Amino acid sequence: MGAEQAWLLPAVPAGFFILLALCGRYLPRQGDVLGVLAIGTSFVLFFFVLADYLGIGEGTDLVLKSWAWSEIGDFSLRFGIAVDPITIVMLGVVTSVALMVNIFSIGYMKGEARYYWFFAVLQLFAASMLLLVLADNLLLVYVSWELVGVCSFLLIGFYWEKRSATEAAKKAFITTRIGDVGLLIGIILLWREAGTFNIQEIIHAAEEGEFSSTYLTVSMLFIFLGAMGKSAQFPFHVWLPDAMEGPTPVSALIHAATMVVAGVYLVARLLPIYEVADHTMIVITLTGLITAVLTGFMAFAQTDIKKVLAYSTVGQLGFMFIALGSGEPAAAMFHLMTHAFFKALLFLGSGSVILATHHNQDVSKMGGLWKKLPVTGTTFFIGSAALAGVVPLAGFWSKDEILNAANTEWGAWALALTAAAAVMTAFYTTRLFIRTFMGEPRDRHVYDHTEEPGWVMGGPLVFLASLAVVSGFLVFSGVGSAIGFPGGITEFVYLHHPHEYSINWGLAALSLGISGLGIAIGAWMYWGNSLARSTKLAESYPGAYRWLLNKFYFDEAYQWCIDHLVLGFSYIVSWFDRHVVNNTGVDGSGEATVYGGFVLKFLQTGKIPNYAMGIALGVVGLAFAGIMVRG
Amino acid sequence: MTFDEAQGYVVLATLAAPLLTMLLLVFVPGTQKTAVRYISAVAGAIMLGLSVYIFTAYQVGDGHNDIQMQLRWTWVENVAFLKKDGVTLALGVDGISATLALLNGIVAFAATLVSWKLDFRTKDFFILFWMLVAGVYGTFFSLDLFFWFFFYELAVVPLYLLIGVWGSTRKEYGALKLTLMLVGGSALIWIGIFATVNEAGLGTFDMRQLWAAGADGTLDPTFQKTFFPFMVIGCGVLAALWPLHTWSPDGHMSAPTAVSMVHAGVLMKLGAFGIIRLGIQLMPEGAEFWMPTLMALGVMGAVYGATAALTQRDFKLISGYSSVSHMGYVLMGLATMNAIGVTGAVLQMFSHGVMTALVFLMIGALYDQAHTRDMKDFGGLAKVMPVWVIFYTLAGLANVGLPGLSGFTAEFHIFVGTFRTYPLAGALAIFAAALAAAYMLRMFAIVFFGPLNPRWAGLKEMTPLEKVSGGLLIASMLAMGLYWAPFTDRIGASVTLLPGVTG
Repeated sequence: MGAEQAWLLPAVPAGFFILLALCGRYLPRQGDVLGVLAIGTSFVLFFFVLADYLGIGEGTDLVLKSWAWSEIGDFSLRFGIAVDPITIVMLGVVTSVALMVNIFSIGYMKGEARYYWFFAVLQLFAASMLLLVLADNLLLVYVSWELVGVCSFLLIGFYWEKRSATEAAKKAFITTRIGDVGLLIGIILLWREAGTFNIQEIIHAAEEGEFSSTYLTVSMLFIFLGAMGKSAQFPFHVWLPDAMEGPTPVSALIHAATMVVAGVYLVARLLPIYEVADHTMIVITLTGLITAVLTGFMAFAQTDIKKVLAYSTVGQLGFMFIALGSGEPAAAMFHLMTHAFFKALLFLGSGSVILATHHNQDVSKMGGLWKKLPVTGTTFFIGSAALAGVVPLAGFWSKDEILNAANTEWGAWALALTAAAAVMTAFYTTRLFIRTFMGEPRDRHVYDHTEEPGWVMGGPLVFLASLAVVSGFLVFSGVGSAIGFPGGITEFVYLHHPHEYSINWGLAALSLGISGLGIAIGAWMYWGNSLARSTKLAESYPGAYRWLLNKFYFDEAYQWCIDHLVLGFSYIVSWFDRHVVNNTGVDGSGEATVYGGFVLKFLQTGKIPNYAMGIALGVVGLAFAGIMVRG
Repeated sequence: MTFDEAQGYVVLATLAAPLLTMLLLVFVPGTQKTAVRYISAVAGAIMLGLSVYIFTAYQVGDGHNDIQMQLRWTWVENVAFLKKDGVTLALGVDGISATLALLNGIVAFAATLVSWKLDFRTKDFFILFWMLVAGVYGTFFSLDLFFWFFFYELAVVPLYLLIGVWGSTRKEYGALKLTLMLVGGSALIWIGIFATVNEAGLGTFDMRQLWAAGADGTLDPTFQKTFFPFMVIGCGVLAALWPLHTWSPDGHMSAPTAVSMVHAGVLMKLGAFGIIRLGIQLMPEGAEFWMPTLMALGVMGAVYGATAALTQRDFKLISGYSSVSHMGYVLMGLATMNAIGVTGAVLQMFSHGVMTALVFLMIGALYDQAHTRDMKDFGGLAKVMPVWVIFYTLAGLANVGLPGLSGFTAEFHIFVGTFRTYPLAGALAIFAAALAAAYMLRMFAIVFFGPLNPRWAGLKEMTPLEKVSGGLLIASMLAMGLYWAPFTDRIGASVTLLPGVTG
């Protein structure tokens, strides 16, 4: 099995999806083991692909395999798969996190209605996501892009009896769909000039300068719209926190580790084009910066454990876009990977907490849970530390790379903003951890009824926690080559030239300072799960607090626009259609005909002289017309 | 007899099957409803089989791309103004009509199964129903303008009775408006046909001779530009050309389930098919002149229909307006006049056909029990009718253009074709597809999900026949959505031969 058989990775879960969806409910244990088996197979196959790809050796950029799909005149479509370093990173992330989430779900979803359906959709999602990262052409990317979107819709709305879940699913789908309009327009615009959907050929065309400058910029910005929608970047960030209505394993898999990074993946994949398209890199960087800072603020006042993590995810995705905008795909993909591990860990950990506390998600009712939940608490601690950027955990190394990239490409202002966002990350992470696991319990009843879930959930936590500890070391050349890579991550994923990672001591110190500062502020404010200081702060600045609590009123503003502008316009069109087009135009011409008949019937008098008069007038009229025409 | 001629008899048999079924049903006593149903079901199955045969037997490849399976019987010639081949019963299929005949077979069979529970004047219903189906087949197969028009009318006229007698909700108004608007369109077509035959001066209604006349300039360019609108407006009424679309929401609202299925599923395609046969093929110069206008109207319909659907409350009105929107895509595809776009238009005819038939089947399955179609009355139906919800969701997702289902395949080709010549129109159309997501998901959220309204706790799942019927339609959607080469090969082969269509 070589890398060109990588199509098996999506094919296996796709097959199991059909099996589970059609007969899952009749299988023993509703087929949950089959789900784990399917994704486990993909996980194992990934190592074959990896080994084969690394074995091919340097210089081989891409392993390709493609199939002719359809042909109309000169318009022919080929679909295929491509394996390159970016794909390898994504495959590793997707299969490993998906496997952990599948195992975790056996415990978390136990006894839920539609248990088999949950696992079926997880397989469909895994298949679509793997296809997305393997696709060698933009059309296939779009196809799988939409499919992961619909899986997200189905899973956010898994508890469809709840109105809020249904609304959240709808919001997620429509918001990302608006971005997808841009994506499809962008893809077709690129095709229009390049005459192909194949990514490599388009990149080649762009580098050869086959596009006019403005045209390329416009097309690539349209594509970026799609990435912004999927990765919940400002101003599309509103759907992701609501998506937390879905079961928590779904949040870990789709809304933290894999689907939401599809935007990052797409931009990284097309980065050679973005680089030659004027003004696009600064747009990407600014989008990332605004999102990272904005969501940092939004996470401050949230008390729902999953919502804090959701805003954090949006912010971390912003970091990845900063790296991409700075022309460093290695930093972005590195952070994508480490973030996938520790954020999946945090979400699964929060799921463990939620299940242990009998479906309580509100941190204001928690506190002191570490004693009750040793496994969850410890792994959550590791995840939080990694997110906050504590040395030597994974988050430290990848965030350091991003700071470095922002500084090198854009200078001090970008570095300052990125650093500010990183401080906020450390702060709200500390807040979340203290309020959940430390100090005194806020709600005795919740505390007393808390118990650690079993190892089917604990196991994935431990696995992901160990990845959160070690995956950061992949940055070192020695570590990379020891496990068969050409070197550290920067020597594996790169835009033009591989370069060996070396520690920039000044930035490393800054990085340390950032996490230290954020953690210190968080600890000072919430130590012992005491709200005295934070309450005082909130009371001193009630206006600011209200804005934070309401997330800067984005949702309200959007809702107003939908209700008054979109639906209002629709009401006007409907009214116009009924009253002007139909009742006046169509019915009106019918009524005019009837009225015409009514009027004309009086001509039929039955009196011979009248008819004779008509004939005479007709003759005169025709004669006159004849003379006029003939001249 | 050559093989092609032998296959011509298959085409004839497909056309004769519904007519013979009508004849057979006339002799079955009206009280024998079960017999009527079984005869109809068997006849529907036979027609589906024949349609599948025609579709699969249509050969693609060099030297094969023209009209195949021809059969020609002289009807009237050398009489009055008619010369040799004056009127002939000339049948045959190309890649376009083979695909649409398949659509007709699928939808008609599905509609027959759904009408199983129809109990009021069953025999009369099915006689009229098969008349309609025969008209549709005849229009797709005819290569003679006289018979083309004859069958076109044969398909349109039974609608009045089918809606007026078996319909609901303001059925007299809906039926009357629909029939008058369509017949008004027919009048324009008839004028156009006579003008063409007269102008060409060949004394024949034979389409192939007249197409040649259109291409080589025997039909004067000015004449073509003058009469192209007659054909396109006449056919356009049936294809819901904006602003002549208003029969669609009302007509669909009034029509019984099976009629809605066949009407929205197949009959509306006759209009678009007419634009190809009588517009693009007969008057290429006129087409070149008028296509930008048609593009504008198509975009208008696509965006307008989707916008109006956003705030509707009646299921059928949503589908009616969404049909306006989707038929707008068809018109856009035709107006691109390039192979990708026109192929996309035909794909969309098929896709919209099966998808809308499924939607109306779902609406019917609910309305038969609930007797209301106001969305706001419902909620949480996934609890009591899970299979129904899954089927409807699939139809809705096809409507939204989800990859893997037929809607995406069709819309994608239309978008690509449109972008080649009219990027702005293409962007607007893609935007309309996002609106489709909004109105579909709004309906899903209100009707399928949320807490179950206890008033509907007693609703029953679809009957087995409805499931079979819906399953057939879903299979068709998936087939085109997953692997579309069998469709694009056939359609593309014929589309590239259309005059004025660029590669």
